[in-house]
Amino acid sequence: MNKILLLTGAHWRKNKGTSIGLVLLMILASMMICISLLLFTDAYPTASRESDRLNSGDGCCRLTGDIDAIDDAFINDVFGNDSDDVYYYRTLYNMGSVPFGTGSLIISCQFGGADMWERPIGRTEIVTEDTSITSDYIYLPYQFYTSGGFNTGDTFDFEYHGTKLSLKVRGFLTTGYFGCNNSGVFEFVVDDDTLSRLRDLSGADATAVVVIYDLKDGVRPGKFMIKASNRIAEVNSSVVVDGYSLRDDAIMNRTFMSLIIAVSIMVVTVVILTVILLMLTNSITNYTRENMKTLGALKAIGYTSSDIKRSILALFVILSVIGSALGVAAAYSLIPLFARFAVGQMGIPYTPSFSIISVCCAVFAVLFFTVIVTLISIRKIRNIEPIVALRDGIESHNFRKNHFRLDKGSRGLNRSLALKTMMFNKKQNIITFFVTGLVIFLCVVSLLMYENFDRDPKLEVLTWDICGGMLTTDDETADEIMSFLSDRSDAANERSFRTAGIYYKDEDSLNAYVYEDLSKINNQHVCYKGRMPQYDNEIAIGGRFAKAYGYKVGEEIEMNCGGKSFSYLITGLLQITNNGGNIVFMTGEASEHIISWDGVPVQIAFDCADSAASDVIIEALQSEFGDSLYSTTNFYEAIEGSLVTFRSLSKLMLIMVCSISAAVILLVLFLLIKALIYNKRRDYGIYKALGYTSRDLILQTAISFMPSIILASIVFSVVSYFAANPYMNIAMGSFGIIEADFDIPVVGVVIIGCCTVVLSFLFAVFEARKIRKIEAYDMLVGE
Amino acid sequence: MANIITTKKLCKTFSNGGVQQHVLRNIDLEIREGDFTVIMGASGAGKSTLLYALSGMDKPSLGEILFDGEEITKMTTDQLALFRRKNCGFVFQQTYLVDSMSIMDNVLSAGLLVNNDKKEVVAKAKKVLTSVDINEELWNKFPSQVSGGEAQRAGIARALVNTPRMVFADEPTGALNSKTGKDVLDALTKFNENGQSIVMVTHDITSARRGSRILYVKDGEIAGELNLGKYVSGDRERHMMLRDFLGGMGW
Repeated sequence: MNKILLLTGAHWRKNKGTSIGLVLLMILASMMICISLLLFTDAYPTASRESDRLNSGDGCCRLTGDIDAIDDAFINDVFGNDSDDVYYYRTLYNMGSVPFGTGSLIISCQFGGADMWERPIGRTEIVTEDTSITSDYIYLPYQFYTSGGFNTGDTFDFEYHGTKLSLKVRGFLTTGYFGCNNSGVFEFVVDDDTLSRLRDLSGADATAVVVIYDLKDGVRPGKFMIKASNRIAEVNSSVVVDGYSLRDDAIMNRTFMSLIIAVSIMVVTVVILTVILLMLTNSITNYTRENMKTLGALKAIGYTSSDIKRSILALFVILSVIGSALGVAAAYSLIPLFARFAVGQMGIPYTPSFSIISVCCAVFAVLFFTVIVTLISIRKIRNIEPIVALRDGIESHNFRKNHFRLDKGSRGLNRSLALKTMMFNKKQNIITFFVTGLVIFLCVVSLLMYENFDRDPKLEVLTWDICGGMLTTDDETADEIMSFLSDRSDAANERSFRTAGIYYKDEDSLNAYVYEDLSKINNQHVCYKGRMPQYDNEIAIGGRFAKAYGYKVGEEIEMNCGGKSFSYLITGLLQITNNGGNIVFMTGEASEHIISWDGVPVQIAFDCADSAASDVIIEALQSEFGDSLYSTTNFYEAIEGSLVTFRSLSKLMLIMVCSISAAVILLVLFLLIKALIYNKRRDYGIYKALGYTSRDLILQTAISFMPSIILASIVFSVVSYFAANPYMNIAMGSFGIIEADFDIPVVGVVIIGCCTVVLSFLFAVFEARKIRKIEAYDMLVGE
Repeated sequence: MANIITTKKLCKTFSNGGVQQHVLRNIDLEIREGDFTVIMGASGAGKSTLLYALSGMDKPSLGEILFDGEEITKMTTDQLALFRRKNCGFVFQQTYLVDSMSIMDNVLSAGLLVNNDKKEVVAKAKKVLTSVDINEELWNKFPSQVSGGEAQRAGIARALVNTPRMVFADEPTGALNSKTGKDVLDALTKFNENGQSIVMVTHDITSARRGSRILYVKDGEIAGELNLGKYVSGDRERHMMLRDFLGGMGW
């Protein structure tokens, strides 16, 4: 064993540069694996863990409309038979706009008092608070801290039933169902005086009843919700139900962005791992080739092939253990940054825990691959004859083709010699080609994300309609408001709509967006196949939903709600991220076959020139219809709030991908050029003796990599330009986006290609500067 | 004939583990244009070190080297490279052709360094290759596909393609058998007869006989010098003179 370690030490001393390069690649590989796994196994399940901790049961539903009749008997009748535990409470419910980030969010809001802390199931708990604030305060969901830009002590301004309120943020809360904007509902806890004021503004002590239930074993939440909804319609058809199952709705919606982030990072990881594996293979193979002479000498003095193999294997095992351990450490130091985006938007406090699975997988994956590649690379050692190895493995005959003959063509001498070097280094150039290509693809995808989610957000993908402002009102006032808006010259295209939960058989629940006239929706791109419904027997359904149940345009589909069912003709397919793509569009007439709209608020959207115009119109609406407005929303501000997470994610991705890409290209060139200089050191010595300057040779070497890098930049820029959209559609398919046509700025792609080429060339020149150290005389006398 | 190389107090010292080894000691030397100068000496005497110092391939520790009146000892590495490409041709014991290039490309890689006129350089390369008996069918072969003698003659062609002021040859026949060695020497002799200045290091008396002037290096100094005049094949008296000279030097 000692002799093996002795040899291993010798290998290390002789190949410090390559070894350090490999360790850096291993650090990068294990770091990316570990971060991906931590996101999937530790950060992503945070929502599930937190819900369990808060004893969130299996689902909840919000009952609005005629809630006065809801009592213990009603709850027991609807929920009692299938549940182990049921808890219900009354709350103030309002569809409104709240400040978030640099904008605002249009969202369902529930307001309650101190009794919110007392719920036995579906608990709400304080994460952090400032107890010195004793009046006019509010507890916000924790997401307002992680993504919304709020801190304790800040002022929280919002509008409730047309009245502007200003409260101090006393703290932040965590809750299983109502803590994330993607879930569509926020729960706020306010002081008693504020609660009384809100009740006064609402004209009622409560406007909704929230029921949280823990189902008996074997009862499926989705089916139960449909059953409960039908039962409620039978008992009291004036009660409107919005149901959420914990796993399928609350957690899924809450983790929606985290999943995008985790999947995006996983995709980056896979591409980078591919690059790193290619480089590991190449570097270990080169290592054996570079050390041929030493290996021959060792064999000559009596070391067996097995001894030599074990010593090389030991070196790479040690390197991979060191590299992967450092990578894991780097991953743990970086995970808070990724968690800030992945978990922060869930609105849940998160501290990374030590995940033995992630650590072991990261270390084992790097170790396993290194061992496999090393074993494959060193198996040739057995066949090496000492005398051949001592001659650097040079064979007596070599019948290669003479590429780029110097007596032909009109190329300059240095360029011809660079091209010859390129052919000499064919395999490495092919690796460079693919590495550069993959890196460019990743950069273009991250550019696409940055362009469409941050710089110039592609709203038609992120929301089903684009407007200037929106309001919620009661049925009676809606017509007056429509007429008021149509009389105004600064408002246009006013349209009213309502939303309701409906069901497909007993299988799935969907959100129905019901417009009087669907042609008024500005975002007609939302219907990517077929057309919007026009008649009372027509429906457009989410593309993801259609795919899941095998429906096509022109087929009929039966929907039901509140005990009624109707068969609709599918006229179009929709792509929306809301509710995971489980969305339908229909006209008001079509909805009446199954939906009862009694007491359900009407939403009205209108177009206007800009944010300022929206404010003016909303102000006019408030002064005219103040008491009848449940909420008003400046869409321009609201979309800014909704984009906070997307913006952060796309920026993170762009910065991360560009940095990692640059690091990968630098490492790849470092290892390839180092190996090239070693392999061609004799030739460089000869060239120098003939009168070539170091500058000539450095340029030749750097230029020899440029054809593959330039070609890859051109080919993969074009390929990425056309492939990025299909790739994004596949990646976002599970979120409801099927045929999005994201913008990819050509200038950006050109900049990525050019930067790759320029950066590669500069680094190749920098790395090739080692040629200066090669002295013709040393080479000649050394041979 | 005018001096082309002049050295003044040329010294070269190697340091190895703190031990100073004086390989060249205060050498004052003049190399004349048109001469076939042969440097002889025992192994380790410093003859190759002297050759590489004269050619600007290696830097002396002390002293001056003037090449055609220009001091090369103060030149930078890149200036020396430019100096070599313009003034020097090299023939090495191991040929040192670039393995990945054909014989023709090896010659052109030197020729095109000095002259950008590709047609002219190709024509010159063909002429030089033909003159060293490397026929057309070998031009596009790789060094590993030709014999040692052919590779060495290709090396001579590469050294001569730029018509350098001086050709430096370091044991050009050292790795060849007597027949191929003779061919190489014949080629060098022929070029010298046409006015090419040559400095050759050898420890082979047969090779040394081709020289017009013999310098004997001993312990880092020029211990003796013999002028033989132009080489004439079969000149027995020349051989005897050389043998006596070398005997006197302790050869």
